[in-house]
Amino acid sequence: MSIEPMKIFFKEIKEPVTTTMIGNYAVAGGVTQTDPDVICAFPITPQTQSVEGLSDVVHQGRLKAAFVNVESELAAISFSTASCAAGARSFTATASQGYLLMTEGLPMAVGWRLPLTMMISARAFNSPNLSIWNAWEFTETNSEMGWNCIVSENVQETYDAAILSVMISEDSLFPTMFVHDGFIISHSVQKLTLIPDETVLKMTPKKPRDTIDPSNPGTWGGIVTPSYFMEGRKNLDEAKKPVLSQMREVFKTFRKETGRDYNLIETYNLDNSSKIAFCTMGSMCGNIISWMTKNKDIGLIKVRAYRPFPYEELRKIIEEHNIEKLIILEKSDSLNAMLPPFSMSIASALYPLGTLFRSFIVGLGGRDVTRDEFDIAKKKIVSVTDMKGELYQYLGVRETKQKIYGVD
Amino acid sequence: MLTAEQLKEVLKENVINLRFHARGGQGGVTASNLCVEAFYGYGVCQPMFGAERMGSPTESYVRLSANDDLVRTNEQVYAPHVVAVLDPSLLGEIDVTAGLAKGGWLIVNTVLNQVEIQDVVGRKDINIGTIDATRIALDVLGRNITNTIILGGIIRVMPIFSIEALGDAIMRRFKGEVAAKNIAAIKQAIEETCVYDIGKDPDFTVDTKVPWQQVFPGLPGYKEVDKAGVWYCDEDVIEMGSGLVNTGSWGEYDMIWDEEKCTDCAQCWYICPDFAIIREKGEDGLWHMKGIDQFHCKSCQNCLEVCPVEAISKKLKQGPASCAAPEN
Repeated sequence: MSIEPMKIFFKEIKEPVTTTMIGNYAVAGGVTQTDPDVICAFPITPQTQSVEGLSDVVHQGRLKAAFVNVESELAAISFSTASCAAGARSFTATASQGYLLMTEGLPMAVGWRLPLTMMISARAFNSPNLSIWNAWEFTETNSEMGWNCIVSENVQETYDAAILSVMISEDSLFPTMFVHDGFIISHSVQKLTLIPDETVLKMTPKKPRDTIDPSNPGTWGGIVTPSYFMEGRKNLDEAKKPVLSQMREVFKTFRKETGRDYNLIETYNLDNSSKIAFCTMGSMCGNIISWMTKNKDIGLIKVRAYRPFPYEELRKIIEEHNIEKLIILEKSDSLNAMLPPFSMSIASALYPLGTLFRSFIVGLGGRDVTRDEFDIAKKKIVSVTDMKGELYQYLGVRETKQKIYGVD
Repeated sequence: MLTAEQLKEVLKENVINLRFHARGGQGGVTASNLCVEAFYGYGVCQPMFGAERMGSPTESYVRLSANDDLVRTNEQVYAPHVVAVLDPSLLGEIDVTAGLAKGGWLIVNTVLNQVEIQDVVGRKDINIGTIDATRIALDVLGRNITNTIILGGIIRVMPIFSIEALGDAIMRRFKGEVAAKNIAAIKQAIEETCVYDIGKDPDFTVDTKVPWQQVFPGLPGYKEVDKAGVWYCDEDVIEMGSGLVNTGSWGEYDMIWDEEKCTDCAQCWYICPDFAIIREKGEDGLWHMKGIDQFHCKSCQNCLEVCPVEAISKKLKQGPASCAAPEN
């Protein structure tokens, strides 16, 4: 009774077809359709099936790509970066500790302006225990190196993100990572609609760009003295500025071709009676939207583009809808800072507006986030009148055997 | 029991939750996937997140509704309306009715009758469907895979999707002959399901999740953790770890130790991944083998292979755990 999860991608997809699939295989399918030349990754739970699925389509002959087995994530990012510099369309994927092992290779993909794409199946870093379950490790480190980063809520979105990332990478000439919550999305079976191959190829043409070229030899990434380094950095900074508007254009093209509407930040029910909104990203948005069917007096701001962070867009949304208070939910913490990392980005955006907010740390290491957390966060924000005291709080954690922290 | 039309009405503004209990290799996750594929509306299927091993108890969850906002949540399923048990040996090992709503349905692959099942699970406020899926599987499919057959039981007691839709989903997933056999088996299962209806249906509008159950109240809190990430051996605060897992129920074989032949060389003790070789220090100050811990032995057979004097042998387990044979 052999089941071939990637069977649907073995043949050309001629028209939009609805199927059911886990997040990782959906990503493998999306990547297949973008016709990559090199796939190089090292398996790590919960990312594994994405690369497994790709090995299936390569083995079966549907995808003419080099599927490269390597010994570690550091080798995977090095190989992907190098092949991308040589002109290949490259894909890699990782999670958690693998992402940390990749760290050394991450900045150069940015520096060389390579349109590399990477999937991250968000999983906690091992500290103080080993955990294979979901948390937002990608916000806790490496997010200022210059990779673009988009976050998906469900299987449909992560499939689309596999294609969107290639579009964003090729347009901005910066590497792009797309993230879904490990296990919660990577291993859930959901319905999704596939895009015809022809449409995907139309949206992701292989455009000419600077590559390593024997007929035009050069030194890539050679050492420079203090007399030159800053100019390179400023050059990158300038190149990064138009990326958000390039992303907007990509979303527009995608909407035109598929009818699916994406944006840097998406909003739900912001013109509500309480002028309060949740602000978060990833799979938790789905939980909140379901909960909102019974809690119509609260809104939701869903951040899709985490890097570059759409500061101005967020300010515009808050001002336009007169949002007075924000409840920020995030699956990462900071043991040092005043706020956890995702909240820090929001706080910087809110600074000129003075919007009140509190940050809640939930769902670390796969702890489920349910209506209980949303109810209590909503209750807590009502009494907030200033920005004094501790600005963040853990929710859904046991204080003692009998008591849940922060719950009376 | 609700008709297909009544259920359609319910599903417009409510969610129906299902939970499948199986053993690794029996295809519980495939069964829940098929539910989502066969259902006309929106559906999500989640396996119990974590590592699955051959023969270990597995769970998977399904959430179905015609309103896409309601199934958009990625929460786990806490309060199922239907629980399907693919392997009867799980009844004694796991609380299969945990969270099952009053008036909900428990569908079991078993030869026991409904009253006996009621006693085993200790619930009188639920409806029960029983089906000898193992026999149907052996008759029709020729092998003991009950995952599709149990879906026939679900169609019988709660027709949330039709046999035609399920047949289509199976055709998409399996190859021709296998698909046809599975569909035939499901049809037989619908006929043969024994129904014990208490005359009450679950209230789909009530949320029966216990508040904060996802936080596992009762386990030590952050203030009670001595040193984060470290479990000292003399501590009994942390009630977790593999010591508590009945890995013994996963295996296909009972491992048998022959005291006469054993030379106490301890090679099996070193190789056993589950510390299932019991040793004791004798009066002579040396360690002697005392037996095999059946609660933890999952019959990986490493000891059998390593033993130089053939003091360890194996015997096929009687009963359902031996069904969890690998798919070919």
